[in-house]
Amino acid sequence: MADEREQELLDRFRYAVLLEAVRCLDEGISSAREIDIAMRAGAGLPEGPLAAADKQGLDSVLRRLEELEARWGERFAPPRRLRDLVTAGRTGLEAGRGFLEY
Amino acid sequence: MYVFKAAVIGAGTMGAEIAQVISLSGLPVLLKDVDPKQLERGMAHIRDIYARRVQRGRISEREAEDRLGLVTAQLDYQGFSDVDLAIEAVPEKLELKRSVLKELEANLPRTAIMATNTSALPVSEIARGLEKPSRFLGLHFFFPASVMRLVEVIGGEATDEDTLDSGVEFVEGIRRIPVRVKECPGFLVNRVLMAGLAEVFRAERDLGLEPARIDAAVAASGLAPMGPYALADALGLDIAQEVAQTLQAAYGDRFDLGERIAELVAAGKRGAKSGQGFYTYTG
Repeated sequence: MADEREQELLDRFRYAVLLEAVRCLDEGISSAREIDIAMRAGAGLPEGPLAAADKQGLDSVLRRLEELEARWGERFAPPRRLRDLVTAGRTGLEAGRGFLEY
Repeated sequence: MYVFKAAVIGAGTMGAEIAQVISLSGLPVLLKDVDPKQLERGMAHIRDIYARRVQRGRISEREAEDRLGLVTAQLDYQGFSDVDLAIEAVPEKLELKRSVLKELEANLPRTAIMATNTSALPVSEIARGLEKPSRFLGLHFFFPASVMRLVEVIGGEATDEDTLDSGVEFVEGIRRIPVRVKECPGFLVNRVLMAGLAEVFRAERDLGLEPARIDAAVAASGLAPMGPYALADALGLDIAQEVAQTLQAAYGDRFDLGERIAELVAAGKRGAKSGQGFYTYTG
């Protein structure tokens, strides 16, 4: 079982990847679906970062990012797109819509 | 546009790998280099890949022979007049790529599509000086191309839609997974992955964790197929540093990999290929 520091590290890795994926989405670099496909087929990630966030629940993702931002600085600031999705009730897999549609 | 015949310019490891992937799909491919020795090394590499596939029972000896026979090694442009798509895979130097592509363009039919395999240079920059930049795009194969399924399909400023569509169809035709990516420094996969890597390197310092412990934690978590330090070593620390510097210049300090990697590279410890990086490698 990962101890507290390891858990913090894993979160920082995971959320840094997610935030960069969201920046690419915001910049229109690729679609949500294709970003996930690329990260799986090109980087060997077992799950696409956007699908993984949807699975976790975007409200939970948002709360964790706020904690990370408070502790480690604004590079973890929750992106506007994420806040908008949560406000609109598009909180991910369970809600049927998040970064992706289900 | 359907591709009946392809060409690869540059018989280095990447060019040879790409030619192998094309031939495996049953498509004839011309592999051209200016250096006879490099061409021979490239062909030897392709033969090795096929031999390994035969050994693993992935393909019969007969099939391997047939597919290998689809690759024509050459020093000139013979047979280029009916090539539908040509991929330039020479070293990542802007001027070199430009001059190779200019010469290539003059030897291809006017309808042909030209692609550059780059992981670092802007497609629009490489395209400058071409007569038909609308028929030019980026096809970013990942290393090793014979294993990695993804190809980023990148349009430059002048690339037209038809060329992008043809690029996507071609990649599907050679049984790879195409993803359309708008041009930006690092493109998609390297950019997103490097953001995670840089954060881990920062976390190592902030949290006082050892690389080996971090790698074990990441591998055990199932977040990634291998730990970030093992990955950086496999990629080559000099390459990782170069990619990160490009990204840092474009997007800021979230891509700063820190002092440690620079020290290792300066000391000649460039990862697995040099026997030493974050880890020590023997044999």
